[in-house]
Amino acid sequence: MIRALSLLAGLSLAAVIAAAPAQAQQDPVAQRAVEGAKAYIKDKNLTNPKLTILLSSLYNNSFPDFTRKWEELTGVKFEIVPLGYTDIPAKVMQEGVSKTGVYDIFNDFPYTMPDAAGAKVILPMDDWVAKYKPDFSGIADGLKFQQYYDGKIMNMVNDGDHLLLAVRKDLLENAQAQAEYKQKFNKDLACPDTMQEWKRQAEFFKAKAGETRWGVKFEKDLYGALGYRSINFSYRHFPAYMKGLPFDKDMKPRIATPNGIQAIKDFAASVDDMPKDIQGWGTPQIYPFWASGQAYSAMSFPSIIGFGSSNPQSVIKGQQIACLIPGQTIDGQLVRRAPQAAGTGYMVSAYSKNPELAYLFIQWFTSPSIGDEAVAHSKGFWDPFRQSNLTDKAILDRFGEQMVKTTIENSKYAASLLLIEGNYEYFNILDKNLADVMNKNISAEEAGKRIEAGWNKVTNDIGLANQQRVWRKGVEQGIYLDKF
Amino acid sequence: MAETTTGFRIASGERRQLGALARLGKWLASERVFRLIPFVLVEGLFIVTILIPFLLTIWISLLKWRANRPFETAVFSGLDNYVGVLENDQFWSSIGRTFYFAGVAVALELLIGFFLAMMVTNCTRSKKLYTTIFLVPMMIVPIVVGYNFSMIYIDSGPLNQLLSPFLERFGIDPRIRWLSHPVAAQWAIIIADVWQWTSLTFLIFLSGFASLPKQLINAARVMGASPSQIFWRVQLPLLKPAIAIAVVIRSMEALKMFDPVVLLTFGGPGTSTQTVAYFLWEQVWQFNKFSFGAAASILLLILFSFLIFAGIFTIIKQRNAVAGGH
Repeated sequence: MIRALSLLAGLSLAAVIAAAPAQAQQDPVAQRAVEGAKAYIKDKNLTNPKLTILLSSLYNNSFPDFTRKWEELTGVKFEIVPLGYTDIPAKVMQEGVSKTGVYDIFNDFPYTMPDAAGAKVILPMDDWVAKYKPDFSGIADGLKFQQYYDGKIMNMVNDGDHLLLAVRKDLLENAQAQAEYKQKFNKDLACPDTMQEWKRQAEFFKAKAGETRWGVKFEKDLYGALGYRSINFSYRHFPAYMKGLPFDKDMKPRIATPNGIQAIKDFAASVDDMPKDIQGWGTPQIYPFWASGQAYSAMSFPSIIGFGSSNPQSVIKGQQIACLIPGQTIDGQLVRRAPQAAGTGYMVSAYSKNPELAYLFIQWFTSPSIGDEAVAHSKGFWDPFRQSNLTDKAILDRFGEQMVKTTIENSKYAASLLLIEGNYEYFNILDKNLADVMNKNISAEEAGKRIEAGWNKVTNDIGLANQQRVWRKGVEQGIYLDKF
Repeated sequence: MAETTTGFRIASGERRQLGALARLGKWLASERVFRLIPFVLVEGLFIVTILIPFLLTIWISLLKWRANRPFETAVFSGLDNYVGVLENDQFWSSIGRTFYFAGVAVALELLIGFFLAMMVTNCTRSKKLYTTIFLVPMMIVPIVVGYNFSMIYIDSGPLNQLLSPFLERFGIDPRIRWLSHPVAAQWAIIIADVWQWTSLTFLIFLSGFASLPKQLINAARVMGASPSQIFWRVQLPLLKPAIAIAVVIRSMEALKMFDPVVLLTFGGPGTSTQTVAYFLWEQVWQFNKFSFGAAASILLLILFSFLIFAGIFTIIKQRNAVAGGH
């Protein structure tokens, strides 16, 4: 049976790949990139053209399928240098100092872009964008504008890694649970609209191993919530709790304001509903735990739903619902913010010998047709993010219609984390102080003061005027959705 | 044009060149120069690989430069970076934590390594097998050790499963948060380091035991000394140089503790497992603060140099004492 399924999956993949050139021909964006590459090679008289990409190793099993196809279409060979995503920013910055020219393309989170742009190790793509006309239609503003730094296109994205809420369908639709919840809170049990409601549901859906609740016997403990609370991850979730921007228009931190303090408190309080060790967990722990059926809900990258559906060990297949990110009530209005917690983008190295050729590959790969193929790739980690995903059968089959629809709807609320120079240092200061509050070492108020002082120090160290200018430009453009 | 003895005609310029080469060869082969060649090569290597990078580090430490700006934009800032490092609370707390980790880990490694070496020395069967087994941890790549321990430490993982019968008896929650509780995470780092590097102290002590003069021990036995007297009065004093070497080598390494921190906790939760090596790595490779990192590394070099010289002095003193005793 497994062999038959594997064979079927293999044949489907082969069919998808084989159909690619035909699709690309129908996609003028991809076609322009291919024709542009051929013309470039001819103009420059390149005999054995090759591009090298520094690639996040997560994509090592999927990306080569696309580079092979690119080589078939254009004759441009590819060398892939895979590296763990935590090490890529340092490698990019090293290239800024050593200027070796060994890489043509860098692949990483959009958050690597500001420092790389500051160090002039990546090139703006605006001229090529004007010449070859890529298609950014159907991409929500918060995702589209994170391709820009200081008003210039420095990075092209092909991934929607904005946070959503995954909820257990069997528990949410359990008649006994619904009745009890309604009686207790005088509200119907449904996807939570606000963070407060999510907290209430997380507190409600808890059970000890061996306990029978709502007619269900729990073999293992049931936790109300899962979320990323470890160092290097907390900062990706925190903006969902923060009402509004982290800085005012003069780059003065808003973290020590009553709103900021409350966000810290709410964020820290959420760990009470999560497994005890959650502060040490990353994706390798959270995804399997979710699939093991020991949590009612998980705020996560969208791919958690795919993991819950496809992992052989999963006990929650067909028992998941994707919900929009819960929001905050601001001046009586529900405001949702789905932080773009990761995502992958592609940047052109300033030291590439053929930067235009590198750009052309990026345009081809992020074009609607090839981009959709990537999202549908069974071994990839690209998440749905553009309108065309909604009608792509392969994507719908892979992720499920409900998840794709919710993710695309959720992308309207997708907002970037900080896209200014030194962002990893700002993030780190936030993470460390959030950890101290979660461990009850310091109060939220003290953390607010420390974060404010730390952020001000980074801002002054890099240069207040530059930071203010880039921050204001980003906010005005709509990268963060919120305005001053 | 002239004709050479081999019959080839060579130009006068080439002849002059050949003559110069011959003179250079003769000069290099002379007794006065030839014996200096190895030193020149070593010095050259020292200059290229150590002195120039060291001077560059000093130069960078005197600049205001983050790598998120091109190096050409760097400006001279005097001792600002040094002042910044000395005023940085995290720098000092990470130094304190490093000494704490190193102190506890090295003490445990010495005790366990010494005990294992003593047991294996006295072993009459399967000595080679035990030696091999106890040396294995040191040979495993640190990233593998880190990954294994991250699995061992997970709150529903094997370590907590093993401990739970004992902990529950005392009313302690058996789900110890090894990687997310500030104190438990520190011990998680120490245990991982002890597991991997006890092998080294074991190896040093094993060679120490093997080199003990048999005559002295036999003489003490013949004179009626008990096994404990032989250990405390004969073996232990003779093992002092080995102990000093183990302390110095392991302390020097432990003060640079980085692998288990980055592989298990990333310095967290908060900063509770942040060692000084991790602090430096973070400042330089995560935050691109090259000048600040350069200043911090120079200050650390000065601090650690004092410790290393003290350690070397101790080794020499112990060796002389043992030699004097003979």
